[in-house]
Amino acid sequence: MIPVNIITGFLGSGKTTLLKEILQKSEFNDTAVIVNEFGEVGLDHIILEEVEEGVLLLESGCICCTIRSDIQETIRSLQVKAAAGTIPSFKRLIIETTGLADPAPIVSTIAAEPIIRNHFRIGNIICTLDGIAGTTTLNTHEEGTKQLAVADRILITKTDLVTLEKIESLEKQAQGINPLAQIGHSNGTNFDVSLLFEEDINDPSKRVQEIERWFDSDRLADLKDHHHAHAQQHGLGLKSFVIAFDEPIDWTVFGIWLTSLLHAYGEKILRVKGLLNVEESSTPVVLHGVQHIVHAPMHLERWPSEDRRSQIIFITKGISEDAIRTSLTTFLSLAKRMSGPEIPAVKD
Amino acid sequence: MCGLCGLLGITHWTETSAHSAAFTGDSRKTLRAERLHRTNLVNAILHPKRVRISDFQATSYLLSSPTGKTIVVDDIQAVWGAYETLTGHNLDPLDPEYLKILDQASK
Repeated sequence: MIPVNIITGFLGSGKTTLLKEILQKSEFNDTAVIVNEFGEVGLDHIILEEVEEGVLLLESGCICCTIRSDIQETIRSLQVKAAAGTIPSFKRLIIETTGLADPAPIVSTIAAEPIIRNHFRIGNIICTLDGIAGTTTLNTHEEGTKQLAVADRILITKTDLVTLEKIESLEKQAQGINPLAQIGHSNGTNFDVSLLFEEDINDPSKRVQEIERWFDSDRLADLKDHHHAHAQQHGLGLKSFVIAFDEPIDWTVFGIWLTSLLHAYGEKILRVKGLLNVEESSTPVVLHGVQHIVHAPMHLERWPSEDRRSQIIFITKGISEDAIRTSLTTFLSLAKRMSGPEIPAVKD
Repeated sequence: MCGLCGLLGITHWTETSAHSAAFTGDSRKTLRAERLHRTNLVNAILHPKRVRISDFQATSYLLSSPTGKTIVVDDIQAVWGAYETLTGHNLDPLDPEYLKILDQASK
């Protein structure tokens, strides 16, 4: 499966600068990149040849093309051409969104489109956050906040142009919106390739490490210590909280509950990430999703810590922790009562 | 499910049988047992709404209204859209009144 990284971020936040770096780095020589416009990136001096109409081979070995009529057609076209040998094959795909775009529909296309989902999988979603204007963006533009909320990695850019205090303050604000994402810094020329692109939950060798990042980071310490959910209210109504269950849960009823929740409120459940202790498995099951899309559950060989509770982290827009907790508890209790020997199922 | 989807073997994330690597416990259910359990649970959840679900050949589910109107769906995800089509209402799993009824109904 070819990993797909999405680079998102508000207008002027440094997506193109990041792309310029990618396109010239030898680490990305087996990568295809879908950009908004060739002109913005300024590729003239690094183009090796135009291998197909609208598809450029760059000196680094990277393939670069623009979005055609839609992202689905563009991805399938790249895949068909690589299979036919008309363009070099690639092992990673990077997609740049526009500054005002919601990245969730791209995730949906990759996870749901029958042909694409059999060849590609979602990797890290990377959000660039302007070190200078980031605070204003997050306070005033819902698009920018949403981009940040669905990200797995946040790259604060232009860090050479602002004070350390400002970076720390912005970092805190970003963590308040998305406590799950790892935050990196960039001054325009340096970024951690491995952290941003390579280490993700789909890599079995990095999975435990990534889960530890979700649940054992200092930012979640407060939630874990107090054994209750902790909601953070923001100007745009975003909340992040953890719900934990002590006993193993019934996977079937959890699936019923989450599908019904996402059907009714998918637009408002920006992210779900969970490490579950389920009755149907002797090892932890990892679950993660973006809005309506939930990725296939994954196996974790061992628990990251002594804590054996099921823990689910939500980033929501306008939905309270109490509402989610009460609903899930009711569904789980129902399943428990139905599975008990003395208590009959619901009577007709 | 279209022929192409069937060919490519699309499975829903809720199906433990489709993700045997993730579900490794002894209490993992067989395909039929899991579907029966799911059907019973959904029936309990939809009981206050007077809608029923039944398993069809371990491949689909039939969702039926009190008047007998029936819709065939492929997986649990599709149940909620079909419920809306049948009843004209959406099922709100966060509705406190509904949750209260659900809680009482199964006692």
